[in-house]
Amino acid sequence: MRRPAPVIALSALALVLSACSGSTGGDGEGSGSSDPSGSAQAGGTLVYATGDAEPTCLDPHVGGNYPQALISTQYLEPLVGRDADGTITPWLATGWTVSEDGLTWDFTLAEGRTFTDGTPVDAAAVKANVEHLQDPDTGSSTGYLAVGKVSEVEVVDATTARFHLSAPDAALLESLSQQWTAIQSPAGIERGQDANCAAPIGTGPFVVEAWTPQQQVDLVRNEDYVRPDGTAEPAALEGITWRFLPDAATRYAALGSGQVNVIDNPQPDSIVASEGTDITHIDAPRPGSSNRIELNTAQAPFDDVAVREAFIRSANPEPGIETLFAGVTAPSYSPLASVEPTAYSDESLFGYDLDEAEALLDGAGWTERDADGYRTRDGERLTVRFPVSTNQSVAAEQSLFEQIQANTRQAGFEVVLEPMDLSAWYTALGENAYEAVSAPYTKVGPDVLRVLYHSDSTVPAPSGYFANHAQVKDPALDALLDAASASQDEAERADLYAQAQAIVLEGFYILPLYDQQNHFLTRGVEGVETLGTVSTPTFVDAALTQS
Amino acid sequence: MTVLRLVLGALGRAALVVWVTATVVFFALRGGGRDPLEAILGGPGSQAGPEAVEAARTEYGLDNPVVVQYLDQLRRVATLDLGTSFSRRVPVADLLRDAFPSTVVLAATSLVLAWALALVVALVAVGARGPVGRAVAGVLRGLEVVATVTPHFWLGAVLIAVVAAGLGWLPATSTPGQPAGLVLPSITLAVPLAGFLGQLMRDGLEEAGTAPFTTSARARGASPARVFTHHTLRHASLPVLALSGWAVGSLLSGAVVVELLFGRPGLGRLLVDATLVGDVPVVIGAVVLVALLYVVVVTVTDLLERVLDPRLRRPRAGVATPDDASAEPVALS
Repeated sequence: MRRPAPVIALSALALVLSACSGSTGGDGEGSGSSDPSGSAQAGGTLVYATGDAEPTCLDPHVGGNYPQALISTQYLEPLVGRDADGTITPWLATGWTVSEDGLTWDFTLAEGRTFTDGTPVDAAAVKANVEHLQDPDTGSSTGYLAVGKVSEVEVVDATTARFHLSAPDAALLESLSQQWTAIQSPAGIERGQDANCAAPIGTGPFVVEAWTPQQQVDLVRNEDYVRPDGTAEPAALEGITWRFLPDAATRYAALGSGQVNVIDNPQPDSIVASEGTDITHIDAPRPGSSNRIELNTAQAPFDDVAVREAFIRSANPEPGIETLFAGVTAPSYSPLASVEPTAYSDESLFGYDLDEAEALLDGAGWTERDADGYRTRDGERLTVRFPVSTNQSVAAEQSLFEQIQANTRQAGFEVVLEPMDLSAWYTALGENAYEAVSAPYTKVGPDVLRVLYHSDSTVPAPSGYFANHAQVKDPALDALLDAASASQDEAERADLYAQAQAIVLEGFYILPLYDQQNHFLTRGVEGVETLGTVSTPTFVDAALTQS
Repeated sequence: MTVLRLVLGALGRAALVVWVTATVVFFALRGGGRDPLEAILGGPGSQAGPEAVEAARTEYGLDNPVVVQYLDQLRRVATLDLGTSFSRRVPVADLLRDAFPSTVVLAATSLVLAWALALVVALVAVGARGPVGRAVAGVLRGLEVVATVTPHFWLGAVLIAVVAAGLGWLPATSTPGQPAGLVLPSITLAVPLAGFLGQLMRDGLEEAGTAPFTTSARARGASPARVFTHHTLRHASLPVLALSGWAVGSLLSGAVVVELLFGRPGLGRLLVDATLVGDVPVVIGAVVLVALLYVVVVTVTDLLERVLDPRLRRPRAGVATPDDASAEPVALS
């Protein structure tokens, strides 16, 4: 749904007004996350307002979506972390070794660390967590996939957990760095799903104190917090009030009026308007896949590579990305997010060329035009059904799809945009009732390519869902992805993934658009950082500033 | 006797409304082979394992034919067992109980505010004298029309932008238990309704001011204040009261938008969240609750109308003509 012009105009008015009130309130400049101005104060409660859906369970093992990753970053920690360069770093595990055949991994745990309920963080706890993820009763989806190749965790001794794998998995560390496989207290898990969903027990800098559904989660400081490097130092903040505020304009107004300190999912125009004010912008694209339009190669017309190329050559998304996202993101030419060090781009494949698109369609037999100006072949119209999940595509993205609809019409495509809710969208995919679709996919590391483009992923789960929406079935690509998954050599792995991405791009299976957008605006707080794993914010070093 | 018939009629209506709403909601969410499992288990970008899917399918009874699920759902509704939420895994009754008070407070505040606004505007418009007064009345009439057609989401956004973000007078968000946070949502909900009720009330006041029964009351020497409160206002409030059921319906539907906009917990937000993930038991529970509330309000206003309007209280077959009505308030005074 697009916002009518008056609302935008009023948002602009609000910005002007809030900017005025902001500049009278203080120094007016830079209480940014990197600003060491010294006005920071210890203590206090930070208010975070999220626009993501309220989790139905605060334990990210259950289900496993981004809203759960966001909040659980504050109270649960993974075995390993990942820095901005993509290097895996120690976290609850201080070290690890892998056997030559890649089937046995030993993780060493720091001694003497405990969960906030006093339970020790030992090998038995790690084993209990993996078993929790693999238990069908848990209903894990994301974490379940992440530990899919782990057949068993063996407790060698209290500080050594040995993972036995059914097949080599080069992505294991990246998988375990995700919030969806974070380690929690086995005693907490044993309380049963209801209790554990309400307040999972972890090792993080904060502890879940109370959850008022539809309103907020109250988090209080973990006084005994031990950092990944082993130093015991609690967070500066006394607590976090995690509020659920679905409306983006309201979140921005609440930030401007000082009711909240941090908001996520701001609208692009809010980000632009906040420049030059005392609001700090954090741009933290999500890892894994870029946002892209996937073309269904399993049926006409996109079973023909020429038609796919014609669609991509005539789509011309770049001007739309520039205007609709107000310059806060750049166009992508890669299957992977720009934060992935192994991302491979080829801009030359995506240049706008309407004449070339027309020639390709002529060559593919779509030579006639009907009364409405759409191309036809054997009396059949060149129609592209495009189900759009209104849960997953923000307003600006839906507008971009409309522009692509208009652009490809020039070449003779009839793109039918079908906005729908999530369950209808899954159903449309399951019934193969689409020619184009766009779905985000967040996962740490290039192994997301295997999830999205391996022929195994065209086989539907019992629920009917499959992740390879383009339905790519290419033995050469499968071989590259399998080899990359089994490789222990980082350089070789990167090379295999580059080759795999070249095949995906050159096959015109997808039209890359931009990184998965993940922006935060902060005000009256400094030291907010985002993790190098799934780009969630951490407030362990955050402090409120005098205003 | 009539009261008993009224209550029985209300019960019948309630049963019909519940059955129709439950059926419509069920088939809207589950029709066309739509499967809520992925939405329940995964959400965007995740893929549930086969064992987890099978376990959930059995747990929620989704392995049964749709007709069986529908009859199951009806049987549960009939026995007031609203079941367990697909997504939250807690009893639907608990979710409704938590969300209901917040919405009721919002709707009640808005209704009172709407009545008050409507009354003030109508009184000023009717009582206006002289050229300035007539000009003011004209402006008010115009405002009534504008208010009536103002969408909630727009008014709410304006109030947030100007009053909360711009002037900083009131919070942009609304939390139960904080009265300041109730102001902007209530105004957002009340203004469109007040515009509509104001027009009704003004018409009623204008009509009653010149009606024979007020003339008659004045002729009997009743004071202007007494004539106003006992005759004019009473007459003008009848259509407003009669439409209160509709007003409550309008407030509850508006609450969906307002609760999302101001981040306020409540029934509307529960409904939106549940609809998005295809959480059938919660949607049916919430919709049935709203429908029942509507029936209750309509029944209560029917009863109140009987108290206020003597024409409805003494139905003498063939005699209850509009001419009678002018005489009745006299008999009361």
